Amino acid sequence: MDRKEILVELKKVLTPYTENKEMLEGISEQTDLIKDLKINSANLVDIIIDAEAQYNIEIDFDAAEKMYNVGNCIDVISDKINKPA
Amino acid sequence: MISAGNDIVALQAVDVQRTQLPAFYSKFITPAEFALHKPNEISLVNFVWTLWSAKESAYKYLKRINSELVFAPAKIAVQQLSLPSPLKTNADAHNQYLGKLQISDGTLAFITIINEQFIATVIDEGDVNWAVKQIESSDYESQSQAVRSFLLDGLKMPGVSVEKHSGGYPVLMKGGVTLDITVSFAHHDRYISYCYQIPK
Repeated sequence: MDRKEILVELKKVLTPYTENKEMLEGISEQTDLIKDLKINSANLVDIIIDAEAQYNIEIDFDAAEKMYNVGNCIDVISDKINKPA
Repeated sequence: MISAGNDIVALQAVDVQRTQLPAFYSKFITPAEFALHKPNEISLVNFVWTLWSAKESAYKYLKRINSELVFAPAKIAVQQLSLPSPLKTNADAHNQYLGKLQISDGTLAFITIINEQFIATVIDEGDVNWAVKQIESSDYESQSQAVRSFLLDGLKMPGVSVEKHSGGYPVLMKGGVTLDITVSFAHHDRYISYCYQIPK
C-alpha cells in the first residue's frame, strides 16, 4: 500500500471525528489533526484504535505520539504495514 | 514562569464501552498508572478520562513554556490520585480528586472535578481561577466563541481581547500589548472551561 492509498483510507478513519469535511477532502501531509481539522483531542485515541482496525496493525505508545498530523500518521501506518512479521 | 492548563471531557460524548477496553486505555495509561485505580472509589470510565484530562492539562501547561513540545500522554505520568471529601459546589453533586503528575523536571499538581456530565481538570500550580459551563451548541465555532466570551465575562477587565499565539495557545491583549495573565481553554461537546492565573 503506497502513501496515496494509505491517505484514502485515512480519510475514512478521520471522517467521524471532524466536522470540517471540506478541509478533510483537501488534506495534505501537513494537515494538523487538531489545529486544521479541529478534531477534539479526546478523539485522538479513537483515531489510533480505528487506524489499527482499518490497516490491521498495532500502534504502540511511541508511534502513537507522532500521529498529530496527516504525514506523520501515514509514516506510522506505512512503517507498521511494511514491518516484517 | 507561571502557566495555565486545563481540560474537560463531556461524558455523554465518549464511547463508554470502548473506554473500558485495555486496547484503548493502554494507549496512554501505563501499568504503573493503572495500579492507581481503586474501583470502590472511581469507575473505570471516570478513572481513564481523569488520567487523560490530567495529561492533556499538563501538556497545555508545559506547551506554553516549551512551544516545541509534542503531546505524548504516556510520557506524562500520573503518580498520585486521591479522593478528598466530596464537595458540593453547585446544584450538581461533585467529587473532587487531587493528583500529581511526573514531568521531565519535577511534578505538577492537579485538581479534577467529576460529576455525571463531565470530568474537568486544572493544573493547580499557583493561584488558579477556573470555571466550567454548559453551552447550547457542540460545533467547534460555537465552543470556541463561547469559551472566549465566558473567560472575558469572568475576568471583568474592559478592553481585553483573546488572541491566538503562534504557539497555538490563547493570550490576552489590551491596547496592542500582550498581558502577562496566562490562560487555557478547553471544550468538548456541550461543555467549555477556562482557567487563568494573574501574576502577583
